[in-house]
This record gives sequence, structure tokens and C-alpha cells, in this order.
Amino acid sequence: MDKTQNESISLKGNPVSRGIAAGRVFWYEPFVPDIKECHIEAAGTEAALRKYEEAVAAARKELQDVYESLKEEDEHRAGIFLAHMEILEDEMLDEEIRSAIGESLSEPGWAAERVYSNYAKLLGEMEDELIRERAADIMDVKNRLLRCFQGVPQRNLSRLPGAVIVAAHDLLPSDTATIDRENVLAIVTEAGGATSHSAILAKGFGIPALLGIKGLKDALGREEAATAACEVPGEMRAATAVGNVLDEAGAGVAVVDALDGVLIVNPDKDTREHYFKRLGKWEEEQRLTREFLRREPLTKDGVRIEIGQNIGSAAREALAASGYTDFVGLFRTEFLFMEKESMPTEEEQFVAYCKVLKAYGGRPVTVRTLDIGGDKTLPYLEQEKEENPFLGNRALRLCFENPCLFKTQLRALYRASVHGKLQIMLPMVGGMDDILRAKQIIGDVKNELAAEGIAISQDVKVGIMIEIPSIALLADVVAKEVDFASIGTNDLCQYLLAADRMNPAVASYYQSYHPALYRLIGYVADEFQKAGKPLCVCGELGGDRLTVPVLVGLGLRKLSMGGSSVCEVKRVLSKMTVARMEELAAKVKACKTDQEVRDLCEKYMENTLGND
Amino acid sequence: MYCKSTKVVNATGLHARPAADFVKVSKKFDSKITVTRENDPKNVKANGKSLISILALCATKDSVIHIAAEGADEVEAVETLAALVDSGLGE
Repeated sequence: MDKTQNESISLKGNPVSRGIAAGRVFWYEPFVPDIKECHIEAAGTEAALRKYEEAVAAARKELQDVYESLKEEDEHRAGIFLAHMEILEDEMLDEEIRSAIGESLSEPGWAAERVYSNYAKLLGEMEDELIRERAADIMDVKNRLLRCFQGVPQRNLSRLPGAVIVAAHDLLPSDTATIDRENVLAIVTEAGGATSHSAILAKGFGIPALLGIKGLKDALGREEAATAACEVPGEMRAATAVGNVLDEAGAGVAVVDALDGVLIVNPDKDTREHYFKRLGKWEEEQRLTREFLRREPLTKDGVRIEIGQNIGSAAREALAASGYTDFVGLFRTEFLFMEKESMPTEEEQFVAYCKVLKAYGGRPVTVRTLDIGGDKTLPYLEQEKEENPFLGNRALRLCFENPCLFKTQLRALYRASVHGKLQIMLPMVGGMDDILRAKQIIGDVKNELAAEGIAISQDVKVGIMIEIPSIALLADVVAKEVDFASIGTNDLCQYLLAADRMNPAVASYYQSYHPALYRLIGYVADEFQKAGKPLCVCGELGGDRLTVPVLVGLGLRKLSMGGSSVCEVKRVLSKMTVARMEELAAKVKACKTDQEVRDLCEKYMENTLGND
Repeated sequence: MYCKSTKVVNATGLHARPAADFVKVSKKFDSKITVTRENDPKNVKANGKSLISILALCATKDSVIHIAAEGADEVEAVETLAALVDSGLGE
């Protein structure tokens, strides 16, 4: 080994999936068709067409096989191969290739190369990102087809030679979708952006990925890294490989820092030591997070707190947390309405609601009815321009004005109710008359459905958001009327403090640690407890590590939050007893200012987590 | 041969899912279906039954397209597809 081989090289890349990895580098050289212009004799067209058809059939069989092997495990990844089959059978591509063979007497491989490349180029130049991505799919299918022409067996990353960092010029969608997840430490490529298939898949798998690294091949070429990778024994586990590599050094090794966006090839001793520590810290953090993710949310003295999730769509990623949360505390339905050019149909809504209800099995899913107005508008719904939209015609008020909109949503909800445990939550309730009026409409909808002979669940709970101070102050009365309530701390804070949360000029007046807010929440919690009705907090504060102990101290036993806060909240809860949280809550209510509350909460948090 | 012009009204245009829906409906007819776009500098003649072809047409919102069909069910094909585009392709 000569000296130049140990020279450390540092390259910048785009960290599209966070993480740190170190190990030997495996350079992946995918099949690259080498096709030159070539023509056939007129007499040979029939044979050439047959050759083309055979290659298509072989490619289709490959795609079908991958699809079958993936469809159980991952619908999304399997879908990539379905889309590839569609491209392979695209009528126009097929016709053009046939005419290039039959009329222009092109050799079939050359015909396919030209037709596919032509369209990949055309789509690759379009403005629309989604269409540009189709270009990668077309090239992917083209390479497969041309490989089948040449009878070359499939080459992919489904079996890696041990734990390695996979490096390539670019990875096609089919490469990433079938990658050997047991052994891939990280992905580094010369090409690729944050929205590419590879980036999205790497993120989904939690594989650190650094894309768009200029000069990657040259940097690795010096190392002869690809051959080194093959010597790593197959059974070596990923984690030990990382540790060993950083401990011992060696040529052909690289560190992928997909936090800061750096790839270091052949790291020197100092760099290795630095990353050895950094990796340890990162892994510890990840381990702690993972550990708490699936844990039962208990306080230090064993009181069970129910943890819910806030979701904004019915997408797969949004539902990923269903495995480690107890319920959906807030399902914002606005996405169904805002992504559209026209009002979503009852059927479209029904499908989305069913999806979420089914994902949560028999556990409660709290669906908030349409909350439009304020900062959110719909392109197809004319609204008068208002001086103070947050104090204007929004949410439930707007639904009362557009009964059609409201009824369609309620119909979809009740129809979906037989597929799970549905709770309907009304936003922007200011007084008892709002609740009674909404209940009247709900009653009408239920009667309509019954008259049509449509089955609905008899166990749908109807509750409200507590976000207007007037309804919070009526908590004793309200608790008797509704099945449950949830405190929307963001709006409650802005209405209580008269500070528009969208207006930067008054940002310092929007104080989410203001003691008055906790006095009010405490009052609501007491009244709901007396009435024996469930109460939840689903605003930002429900997932804020500083305020979670205060809320539990005030009597809350249900908290709902964004999926990313779940681990931290579970961890914080496990460190404090209810008695200590009650002590904190009492002190918070006695505080004079926002800053005082914040300092107090931070002090409690430090003492608690510091005593680990 | 039967043809009709119409304007693309949905936000994403004949892209992604709307394009796939268009192709799916086209394939139900026996007639040969061709789609062109007004003022298309490349003068693409898209095959109505090919997703790649429709995508390459680049028919964004507000573009005017001509749908032509030739075959036994040409009238029904064009009318159905034009109505589909007018309806906003489910958007």
C-alpha cells in the first residue's frame, strides 16, 4: 500500500436522510447498455421483432417477480415495479419501437435505446418535478430491457458483500427499492436531489444518505474500494463494522456524516476519533428515542398517561405512529379540502376516514370537522374579506353558513363510523348554542342515513375543541353536554392573550407560558374531572417537554401531539411522579409572568433529567 | 374521424394521476385516439392510450387540447374524453 492511498479526502454532499455511518465502500457499477447505431436487412425484420418481443417478455417476468416478492412487505416499493411494467407495455413506446424496427430497419436494441432515451430526455426537461422523476423510471426500464436483449443476468443491490457503504454514480429506483437493508450502512451518490426516489426511499428505511457528491468516483477510485468491500465477511453485523472500522482505521474506509453533509474518504486518526465519539452519541440518542417510542407511557410512579397523535392526512407516513400511540387526538381534515380545486366528494372523504379508522383498529380516532377561515382558505369557497379573520367567520361558524359542506362531511364520517371508533370534534365553539345547533344538524344527518338504510355506529362520541376562553369558562356546564373535549392550546392562547399568532409584530405577546393560560386549563381540567368526562390537550403544548409535566399536574391524563414528540414526552413522563408534577403545576399557577413559568419548568426539567 | 377541442381546467393539468386517468378511459375504446395541444412548438401528436405520450404533451392548466378519434366508437370516445377533461379529471 503506498502513501497516496491513505490520503484523507473530504467531499460535500446533500444529506437527504440523516445519520452517521462508517465502513468500507462498495462501488456499485450498474448495467450500462452500450448500444451503437446498427441496422438490419429488410428480410430480418420479423426475426428482429421476435427478438424484441422476447426481451419485453423477459423484462416483464423480472418485474413481475420483484413485484410479487415485495407486495406483501411494502406496497409502496412494489408499486414502483408495477409502474415499470406499465412503461414497458406503453402503447406508444411499443408502436414507435416496432416501427423503428419494421420501417427504419433499426436493430431492435438500437430502436429501444433511441425511443426510450428520446422520451426520457423529453420528460426530464419538464418543469414538473413529478414528471421529471418519470424520466428516471423510463431509463430504468430501458436498461432492464436492453440487458434482457443481451441476455445479461440482473445486477442489483439485493445481496451486498457484508456491511458496506453503497456508492454509485446514481441509483435507479429499482436499485434502491431492492437494496439489501441488513447490510447497507449508508448510500452515497454523485447524482440525485432531495426529491429523487432514492432519497425518499433511503429516508423511509432510515438509511443515512448523502447525494450529489461531486468527484465521488475519482475520490474512491484511488482507493480501489470496491474490491476491498468484497472481503468483508457477509455475516458481519452493521453496527460492529462501524465501530471496528473507526477503531482500527484501514484503507478503503469512509465516514458518511449525513448530519452535516460530509463524506470523508480514508479519514485520518483525529477524524476517526472525532467520529467515533460522535457516532456513539448519535447512536445513544437514537437508541434512547427508539427505546421510549414503544414503551408504555407511565409516570415515574406508574400512572398511565394516554398518548395520542395529531395527524394532518391519511397518508402512510402519517399513520406510521399508530403502532405506538393510544389514539388519534386530532385528525385535521383540512388537507382533504385544501389540496383540491373543488369540494371533495362524500366518497373521497369516506375513503380517507375509513383508512385512518382502520389503521387504529378499535382505538379512538378524533376527527375535527372542517376548520377553514382564519389563516386557511379554500379556492372554491367564496369568503368575504374580513378585517379580523381569526375573530371572524371560521370553522364551525363557516360550516353553519354552508350547511351543505358540513353535512357532506358528517355523512362521510357517520358512514365511516362502522369501521372503527370514531369521535367527532367541533372546532371554534364559543357557547352552548353552538353545541346545540351542531348537534341538531348531526341528528338530521343520522336520520337521513337511517332513512336511506345506511348502517352507522351507535357509539360515535361528539365533543368540542376548547379554544375560545368563553367556552373554557363554561366548562362546568359544557362538560355535562358533550362526550369529551380537547384543548387547542394554540388558539386558546391567542384568544386569551388577544395576540394574533400569525402577526410577527405581536409575537412577543403570544406567550404560551403565560400563567393565566395554566389557570384556565386547570379550571377546565377540574370541571371535566368532576363531570367524569375525558379531556385531552391536542395543541403544541401537549407535545412540549417543558409543559407536559405541568399539564399532567393540572389533572390531564390524555395528551395528543405530532409523531416526532412521542418519544421525548414518554421519556419526560417516566422521570417524574404525579405528586411532583402537581407541585410544579401549583407553582406555575402562582407565577406572575411567562418568563417565570418558563424558568420554573426548565429548572424542574433539569433536576429531573439530570438525576438519570 | 371525429374531433373536439377543449380546455384543461384542473390545476395540475394532464399530469401525474389525471393523465393516468385519461389514459385509462382512452383504453376502453377501440378507436385510435390522438391528442394535440394548441400552440405546441414541438407539435407533439400524443397517443391517447399512452401515459408517456400524454405526459410529453405537457398540457398544463388552461391549455387548449384537440382530441381526435378514428374508429367504430370515435364519437363516443371523443365525447367521453372531452367531458372527462371538462370535469377537471377528479381534481
